[in-house]
Amino acid sequence: MNKNRALHGCVFLLLWPFHGTTESTVECENPDSTRCSISLEKLLDRAIQHAELIYLVSEDSLSLFEEMFIPFHVQTPLTQTGNVCTTSTLSIPTSRSEVQENSDKWLLHSILFLIKFWIDPVINLQTSLSRYDNAPMALINKTKWISSKLINLEQGVTILIQKMLGEGAIRLDQSNESLADYPVHSDMFESVLRDYTLLACFKKDTHKMETFLKLLKCRRTGGLGCSFL
Amino acid sequence: MMWRDTGLTLILSLILSVVAKGARQTPPGKPKVTSCRSPEKETFTCWWEVGSDGGLPTTYSLFYRKENSETLYECPDYKTAGNNTCFFNKNDTSIWVNYNITVVATNALGSNTSDPFDVDVAYIVKPHPPEKLTVAVLEDKDYPFLRVLWEPPRKADTRSGWITLIYEIRVKLEDAEEWEISRLIRPGNILPVFNCPILVHPAGQQKMFNIFSLHSGGFYMVQVRCKPDHGFWSEWSTTRSVKVPDYIHRNRSVWLLMAILSAFIFLILTWIINMNRNSLKQCLLPPVPGPKIKGFDKQLLKNGKSEEVFNALVVNGFPPRSTDYEDLLVEYLEVYVSEEQELALDGKDLQSIGCLKSKSPSDSDSGRGSCDSHTLLMEKCGVMEPKEESSYEEPELQQAQAGNWVSLDRGESWVDSPNTSNGQVNTKPLVFSMLIHGSSNNQYHTSPELPKQHTVPDNVFPTTPYHPNPEYMDCPGKCNQYHLSQSLSAGAHQLQNPNDFNVPCLEGQSEAMGLGLPHSRSMEYVEVQKVNQENQLVLKPLSSHSHGPFQPLLVEAGEDYSKVNGVNKDNVLLLQRKRVMAEASQSCDHQVKEVECKQQQGKTDTHRSVTTQLQESMCPTTSGYVDTASMMLTF
Repeated sequence: MNKNRALHGCVFLLLWPFHGTTESTVECENPDSTRCSISLEKLLDRAIQHAELIYLVSEDSLSLFEEMFIPFHVQTPLTQTGNVCTTSTLSIPTSRSEVQENSDKWLLHSILFLIKFWIDPVINLQTSLSRYDNAPMALINKTKWISSKLINLEQGVTILIQKMLGEGAIRLDQSNESLADYPVHSDMFESVLRDYTLLACFKKDTHKMETFLKLLKCRRTGGLGCSFL
Repeated sequence: MMWRDTGLTLILSLILSVVAKGARQTPPGKPKVTSCRSPEKETFTCWWEVGSDGGLPTTYSLFYRKENSETLYECPDYKTAGNNTCFFNKNDTSIWVNYNITVVATNALGSNTSDPFDVDVAYIVKPHPPEKLTVAVLEDKDYPFLRVLWEPPRKADTRSGWITLIYEIRVKLEDAEEWEISRLIRPGNILPVFNCPILVHPAGQQKMFNIFSLHSGGFYMVQVRCKPDHGFWSEWSTTRSVKVPDYIHRNRSVWLLMAILSAFIFLILTWIINMNRNSLKQCLLPPVPGPKIKGFDKQLLKNGKSEEVFNALVVNGFPPRSTDYEDLLVEYLEVYVSEEQELALDGKDLQSIGCLKSKSPSDSDSGRGSCDSHTLLMEKCGVMEPKEESSYEEPELQQAQAGNWVSLDRGESWVDSPNTSNGQVNTKPLVFSMLIHGSSNNQYHTSPELPKQHTVPDNVFPTTPYHPNPEYMDCPGKCNQYHLSQSLSAGAHQLQNPNDFNVPCLEGQSEAMGLGLPHSRSMEYVEVQKVNQENQLVLKPLSSHSHGPFQPLLVEAGEDYSKVNGVNKDNVLLLQRKRVMAEASQSCDHQVKEVECKQQQGKTDTHRSVTTQLQESMCPTTSGYVDTASMMLTF
């Protein structure tokens, strides 16, 4: 037996350099469980990254849309009104105080709600943009990208909820509001205005998502950059 | 023993496996998931390796579970990525969950499951290599450099920031063995400083990087690869090659050359300086001359006692006293004659001779100043009497040697031209001879006559100390000379004023002249009877009355001479017309005129011609004269 053990040991030492090639990229929190799951911090980081990217792309899309379709005299009245967006009616914490008061559950649910809300309008926006004659391809691609990432983020937040709140699949109250509330106007100007409004509202909401996620992260880790929250 | 056993078991097992391989069928071996990679964090692919198939056709299937879910999913795509791979598309890929992957090998006899393999998609990103790599040689101020351009892999979504990539370039000379890897290049929006790891996006997604410090004429190969923040390095891109043109490191080579040249020159200079060390030392640092003060002792100075030093400096010879100056005086003669005052000049000349001591070389008036004053002159003459003798002797002798005598030849009074080139001297002999004649007469004439006769010649003759009369001792002849000349220039009336002082001088003069006479030929002496108003000496022969030392000379002169009556201002002797041996008390004024003498036909003939000429003169007297100048010319 000693010989075998020595043999095994030698073989193991010989094979040690090759160990790294088949490394497991997953960091396991529980060494006991056979499966290792991604840690919550990582999930949050990825979710935050998603949200940031979506926000950036939506900002680019809005600026592109403004350059192409919206004359200057219309832009300012639109941004000044803040409550044009339909989501404002939802029970989502809007002020900072509200956000800080509410628990994580609230935040997570709010994020998820926002995401779910916006998935369909973005798809419709793509359709609407494709109908334009001179819509730039970059804008269309961006909207496609946004839609795919939104779906991805939805999955992530869902998992986050599951992990943080320990809840199972959550069935949120389906919002009655859908894209049907945004009538399709045959008039060009109206559709343009609608799309513009949609993009603007979307941009605001993505920024909310990002902020919520970062807040969640700061609550958990208390790292740098959390002073503002 | 132990090693032998292990070796045997290994060999046996190998043999058995080989044999068994072909011999029997077994369930497949255990497969193994080797790796899973995602190129863009949206899809990923897993590779597995097969174990032994057990001799039977074996199928492999991949199953995965998502995190915290027991649902087993199978690989959606086995084909896209090739054999023994599983491709997960976008829908199946989630960055939120871990994947637990297993591969199952199945054959007729059984199956074998590999070990589970956990995958976190975010950490298995291995992008494709960068694309569109281009390398170009550009020049920056005569320095070539490589500009490398590339694009990120197409699939990687760096535009939105979904993936952030960093790059790495490696360069290699063609014949070099190892690659030179640059530092990590992080793309950014900041404009690059040379070789800083920050890139600018020149055109869209294009990344740029510059490589400097190239070998001239080298052949370079360039490659690039990328890596996400958390992930694996991509494969190296395709190689791009470029050749660097030949160029010279101008700055460096020039500086090198200059440095070498200057070093060389410096060496040569040091060598030269070393060779001429001593002479350089002499030139740059000349030896300090020691003090050349008379009586200065360096040792005394070093001792530090200043008193001794200064005492040593005191030399008896310093300061020089006034008595020493006399030794430094140089005696010299100054001779001056002016044409206007012939007699005066002569007198002055003689005065100048006599007044040597009292004048300086720079005196403009040739010493006449001292002689101007009668009293002063007397004093000076008295003081410097002994010295004047020596001085006077010289000119007298000189004059005698020069032959400045008026010699009368055969009744003709003529004057030897002086040998001296000095014209001034020419006039002297005339006067001298006249004076001599006159002075000799003076001795024997009665005193009342003397004033008339002797005034003129007194001025001419130099004084000598030979004064038989005690009266004569007082005043040297020069004083008389001076006065006489002055009286001559002033007018006849002055001459008429007798001067007792003049008399003895004349005598002395005559005596002095008498000394000089032996050099002369036989001559006849004339007596100055008077000076007419025209400043003309009126002479008469003294041959009949010659006494004293001059007598023998006169006796020797058996020739006929014409008697000189006088010399006018034109330097013309006034001679008597006839040769009269007896005293001629008569004096006659004759106008002198330039008469060209005819050819000498003999002394007698000339005499006759002269006499004829004389006859032509207006003067009816017996005295005759001959133009001395003309006579001089002919003879």
